[in-house]
Amino acid sequence: MAAPTAGAGAPQRLAARPSASSTVAVFVLLAILAAALWAFADLRINVATFVDGSHQAVAFARRTLPLDFPPLPEILRLCGQTLAIVILATLLSTILSVPLALLAATTTTPNDASRLGARALIVVARAVPDVVLAIVFVRIFGIGALTGVLAMGLHSVGMIGKMYADAIEQIDAGAPTALTATGATRLQRIAGGVLPPVLPAFVAIGLHRLDINLRVSVVLGFVGVQGIGFAIADSLAVLDYQRGIALALVVLVLCIVVELISGAIRTALLGRAAAGPLRGISGGLSRLVHVRSAIGRHTERRDDGLDLDADLTRDPRLRSAAALVEGRLAPPWDARRISAATYTAITAAVLVASVVASGVSPLEFLEALPRVLASLGLFLPPETAGLFGALLEQLLVTVQIALAATLIGVVLSLPIGALAARNVAPTPGVANAFRLVILLIRGIPELILAIVFVVITGLGQVAGAVALGVGAVGFLGKLVADSLEEVDAGPQRALLATGGSRSQVFFAATVPAGARAIVAHVLYLLDTNIRSATLLGIVGAGGIGFYLISAARVLEFGVVTTILIMIFCTVLLVELLAIWLRDRF
Amino acid sequence: MTGRGRTDGSANGAGTPPVVEFAGVTKRFGPDVLGLDDVSLTVHTGEVVVLLGLSGSGKSTLLRHVDGLQLPTSGTVRVLGVDVGAARGSELRALRRRIGFVFQQFDLVGSRTVLENVCTGALGRVRGPRLGLPTYPRALRREALEHLDRVGLGDRAFQRADTLSGGQQQRVAVARALMQRPEVLLADEPVASLDPESSEQVMALLKTISRENSLTVLCSLHQVDLALGWGDRIVGLRTGRTVLDLPTAGLGRDDVMAVYSGVGADAGALLTTAG
Repeated sequence: MAAPTAGAGAPQRLAARPSASSTVAVFVLLAILAAALWAFADLRINVATFVDGSHQAVAFARRTLPLDFPPLPEILRLCGQTLAIVILATLLSTILSVPLALLAATTTTPNDASRLGARALIVVARAVPDVVLAIVFVRIFGIGALTGVLAMGLHSVGMIGKMYADAIEQIDAGAPTALTATGATRLQRIAGGVLPPVLPAFVAIGLHRLDINLRVSVVLGFVGVQGIGFAIADSLAVLDYQRGIALALVVLVLCIVVELISGAIRTALLGRAAAGPLRGISGGLSRLVHVRSAIGRHTERRDDGLDLDADLTRDPRLRSAAALVEGRLAPPWDARRISAATYTAITAAVLVASVVASGVSPLEFLEALPRVLASLGLFLPPETAGLFGALLEQLLVTVQIALAATLIGVVLSLPIGALAARNVAPTPGVANAFRLVILLIRGIPELILAIVFVVITGLGQVAGAVALGVGAVGFLGKLVADSLEEVDAGPQRALLATGGSRSQVFFAATVPAGARAIVAHVLYLLDTNIRSATLLGIVGAGGIGFYLISAARVLEFGVVTTILIMIFCTVLLVELLAIWLRDRF
Repeated sequence: MTGRGRTDGSANGAGTPPVVEFAGVTKRFGPDVLGLDDVSLTVHTGEVVVLLGLSGSGKSTLLRHVDGLQLPTSGTVRVLGVDVGAARGSELRALRRRIGFVFQQFDLVGSRTVLENVCTGALGRVRGPRLGLPTYPRALRREALEHLDRVGLGDRAFQRADTLSGGQQQRVAVARALMQRPEVLLADEPVASLDPESSEQVMALLKTISRENSLTVLCSLHQVDLALGWGDRIVGLRTGRTVLDLPTAGLGRDDVMAVYSGVGADAGALLTTAG
């Protein structure tokens, strides 16, 4: 019935008519940009501040050097404790995220109510900063590992849950539909058709969050989560910079090592083609096993006089007989199965070691539960202690820091990220060099950047903004590079074929295709920067975080609650704005 | 109207009770789009019915109505004596268990072994979610292996499904459907993604299974030659209406091509050609 209607009545326009909502979206983006520029100017981030700071840096260096490293066993103990807490926290959040994501994804949710409910829980988890959770949990569970595990574990659900839901929605609907057609129930369909294809992505996302949590755990040390951050906080509190900065360097090395390991695992998981060759450790293992199974087959042949596997492929009549051989109902112990089992065993061992090393016990958790109500009572009702005006002012400073940091991050990341993209950089060598720069910046925890800039610019907002801005390059630069590399090569080839120059192709084909993703990433960065700005305020980098930790120290828990509510509302507002904007680009 | 008359005229399965029965089925997608337009169709046990028609003519929609993946806007679909539109929850699942479905894109879980994919065909028979081959009872695994042998892939049981060629994957999908011990087999363009040789193999397999198990098969195709070669009966669809419904015996290529020709011409002229 649908006769093709030609666009005969199309108006003779030479420019497309912009839709009302996308016009508004552009204005909102411009307004955010203007606010960022204003914040940048208002915070007095300029060269003079850095020049003034140079003599402080010299004085600081004098107090820091020589570095005072603790004995090696102590370093290893602290690193082990931090890693254990971070691993358990990430595990907790992945366990919580799987059911939430299944409820939140449109393809697996039973109904709209559960989908919206799960989405709301995920957004709330993201909007409550982990440091805030840690302050609350310290009151309930005391100083220790459990506080850190719960704080990071619950907050991470905000990111992991969302990314899991996205991963579920992205898989091909074919296999789940095929299972529905066999008469499978919803749970059977999810276990058989949805989970297998998303499992590698689930693990990769978890590892990505592990990297982030490792950095966060250092800051959480300042509010009473044990591990290396706690030791740094202790040293800095007594102005022992020789020890504190030495430990910060240890953190730097730890972060880079973990990043490299998790990056390698992620590449292996996501990058390995279905039947592709195994690389690295797993490759060596599988080659070893291959040799051994070949030997095994050889002896089998001598014993039975029949190579079952080989004859099966030749003689179809033998197949049915073979079907009844009990041993063939389970997969053979080939290289792939052995390496899979090895990885499972290693993972299990790491988890057990984490539980032991962190000293977390379920009993501790249960014992603390009766205290929950009493402890939560301390935080109610919200109070302002006559500080509301000052708090609002500090909240504004935090938002300013986040805006300025995002601006700095974008200005630095766009060129660095573009040069790190293999399809944009003039030579592969340039791309690799900039990839390395990004990797190094990613390796440095924001806390350490903040401490460095606090030293150079003194306590206050400039340090926070610059630290976050530079740190953002590690995140945004990589995303910019990845987005540009993922751009479909077709249009670029087409433009090159018309005789376009490299820069013409970049602006006509590469930028438009990558712009949407980059806008989304910048908004996400602003979102995280508000939380991070709060976090860094705790170490003296300006904003409301300083009031938060001060109120917690003097046991003014009503004020803590007020600040929590203020931060929560701000983050939620930005989050909603980001969601609204993302839909319009 | 005329389409229905042809259905009665072609009754080559007369005597056996109908397996699939469409009575005046109309499916609307939104106010303007008609997926199916007053389709009436009766399929008897053991018939191999091939659906022909352009993309968007309603072949997939018709197949999806058979096992309730889509529900009619008006009219009734009865399959194996069950009113599909009225079936809900466990009743619908019980019906789907008796209907195998093979898709154009095979729709296997690529990261799992071939044998596990076949086992998923038995999900309707086991309780609870299953993840991993060892979670299926040994008896089911043995049965799955027999089905794999039947489609000639017993030696591939423990390979990842995505390491097989397209034709092999489609045979695994057929084995998965067989695992349901189906009474009706639906195939939605099962060979559209395959090379000619694999296409012949898959169609031959469907035909053999149909004959040996007296399984009723409804299969949509794009290739007229395959339809004439392997079908007992051809149903032509255009913009959701049945425009042809005849047994393949004695049918020529040109008769069938009429389903595709004269798009935009009025339906009356077409039916004359078809007759």
